[in-house]
Amino acid sequence: MANLFEHIGMEKERLQFSWISSAEAGKFTNVATEVANTIEALGPIDKFVKKTD
Amino acid sequence: MKVIKIDKKEWTGGIDKSREKYLLFGPVKDKDVTNKEHYIFKKLAAGEFPVMEGVDTVLSPKSVIFPQTEKILKSSLDQSQPDHHIMKRVENDYSSRAVIGIRSFDAKALTLVNLNFDTKDYQDPYWCDAYKATTFVGLAVNKPSDVDFSTSMGSGPFGEEGLDVLLVDNGEEFLAKVITDKGKTFLDAAGFNKTADESAVKKIEDLKAQAEKTIADKAKVGTDNLKNKTVLDLYEAPFWDDIAFSCINCGTCTFVCPTCWCFDIQDETKGKSCTRFKNWDSCMFPLFTLHGSGHNPRGVKTQRVRQRFMHKLKYFLDKYDKGTMCVGCGRCVQSCPVNIDIREVCNIMNNYEPKK
Amino acid sequence: MDSLTQKIREIASNILKEGRVDMVIGFAKGTIPMTTKPYMARTPEQVENFIWDKNCTLNLANYITGRKEKIGIIAKGCDSRNIVNHIVENKISRDQLYIIGVPCSGMADKHNPDELRDNCATCTHRNPVIFDVMAAEPVEEQKIDDPFADVKAVEAMDKDAKWSYFEGLLQNCIRCYACRNACPLCYCPTCFVDESGPQWVGKGQNKTDIQTFHFLRAFHCAGRCTDCGACEAACPMDIHVRAFTRKLNKDSLELFGWEAGLDITKRPPLDTFNPDDPNDFIK
Repeated sequence: MANLFEHIGMEKERLQFSWISSAEAGKFTNVATEVANTIEALGPIDKFVKKTD
Repeated sequence: MKVIKIDKKEWTGGIDKSREKYLLFGPVKDKDVTNKEHYIFKKLAAGEFPVMEGVDTVLSPKSVIFPQTEKILKSSLDQSQPDHHIMKRVENDYSSRAVIGIRSFDAKALTLVNLNFDTKDYQDPYWCDAYKATTFVGLAVNKPSDVDFSTSMGSGPFGEEGLDVLLVDNGEEFLAKVITDKGKTFLDAAGFNKTADESAVKKIEDLKAQAEKTIADKAKVGTDNLKNKTVLDLYEAPFWDDIAFSCINCGTCTFVCPTCWCFDIQDETKGKSCTRFKNWDSCMFPLFTLHGSGHNPRGVKTQRVRQRFMHKLKYFLDKYDKGTMCVGCGRCVQSCPVNIDIREVCNIMNNYEPKK
Repeated sequence: MDSLTQKIREIASNILKEGRVDMVIGFAKGTIPMTTKPYMARTPEQVENFIWDKNCTLNLANYITGRKEKIGIIAKGCDSRNIVNHIVENKISRDQLYIIGVPCSGMADKHNPDELRDNCATCTHRNPVIFDVMAAEPVEEQKIDDPFADVKAVEAMDKDAKWSYFEGLLQNCIRCYACRNACPLCYCPTCFVDESGPQWVGKGQNKTDIQTFHFLRAFHCAGRCTDCGACEAACPMDIHVRAFTRKLNKDSLELFGWEAGLDITKRPPLDTFNPDDPNDFIK
């Protein structure tokens, strides 16, 4: 799906997958921070956003 | 009837002049990113002119009066506002507009839709305002397409019903038959005012006879018996399963049709604002008649296919006594992915004799 | 008459006479040039309506979904692959079918009768992959050096160019859903765009809603699409909807070595777990 995302001109990093057990609190916070940082670096999305006027 | 002569060299100048008083719509060539070309009816931008070579558009011009998606009402959901949750009509532009190059059958089609939206008891304000604001400048069809069967359906390549002006392509010039005062006003605004001589009427009649003959030479579609058939005989006729077999229940036929008027209402909210839309709907879609209870009175495709043809060729005829709700433009014949041909279906219905 | 048409009629007539099937699904001649219509024959007399030519562009597997009868079906390469899909996805059982295989040398483009249509030009499965009887000798398969050149051309664009390409592709969509309904893969009782509680997608001519429909529809075909081209054959606006599914077909081939509908004993890759599956995307 990420590939199709990229194919239509979206940043593939906006879709991330991770496998985290409920016991892996550390991994969870790391992944969440990393995802947040990546998305922040990409900035607001300007494609595929429904605009109404 | 008055005929105005328009030299083609003066055409673009006149069209430009008319823009001072009219918003213009017309067929233009559209090319998509894969270089596929179509003709579509659209609002003409400054400097853009309608294609007047008698091109066939995939979609009819009904969208000029009845857009596929139209914003109709809006309201605020902000409870601090005194008028929150009160739906108000959206202000749309209903200034004078003219559709240039509309075909006779399409103009006739709009008069049929008008029967539904402008009745004694109810008037759809969105349709009525747009319809009244529009001047229809038709272009006669000198060379009817292979799927044109308009003469069988009460219209024709030179039909005048629903038009304000009928332009006839006569080589170096257009002969403009002035049908209504509205039409005259448009021609005046464009500065087209040279009266044609006596021979013009004869010329138009000749071209008309020629065009009608082209259609008549092809298979004729019979509608004469439809009126005398009883609804239930046709409804229960055994042929519907065979007609519907190939149907994939897409909305192509209904969306390209100039007379299909069904619509659906949708509300969309964003933040504190709410908008109500009117969207084209299609009797081919299962969702069309799905009840809130989950029951669907037209749950299988044969019922939906039957509905489309029965509405066009029987129910409408019985209700209004103004002919069929098909004008013979042939667009559905051309666009149907599985070649369900209304000409064949109409003949089958017209010739059907129930077994006693 | 064309010998292939003759042979198809002969086989269809025989299996109806012998009572092996209740009906045969094939193509009949259309009422306008360069068209055919899917047709069902229930009696040996009706088989006379069958034809075979360069305009049999739709996919007949679309007409067998969920049927209970015993069905004879005429299948070119792509139709046969979608029949395999249907069997794998339990939409029909193999014993219900009598497949009349037709080797195919490609269908004509709907606007240029002298040219092959786009998907047929890159087809490498012209012969039916599953059949009970063949109506003719197999044809030679095409050797295509670079079957996904079109997809690569898009991949090479920068992201804004890609986006404007896809926006441009869909600008004329009228949401008639002919692409979806002509597709043998799209058999959901209620499509996500028709769902009304909850409603996933807006129903008007909003470009984002239209894009959402095409993007998600394509994704629902991942690992299942046979590139039969029925979607484009059906589209009244001539939209290149395969631009989406072609990318997924390329990914399926590269990531899983998978081409859909070749073997009734294999589950599609997105339907199974294999320890060797590519998993770079998971952190």
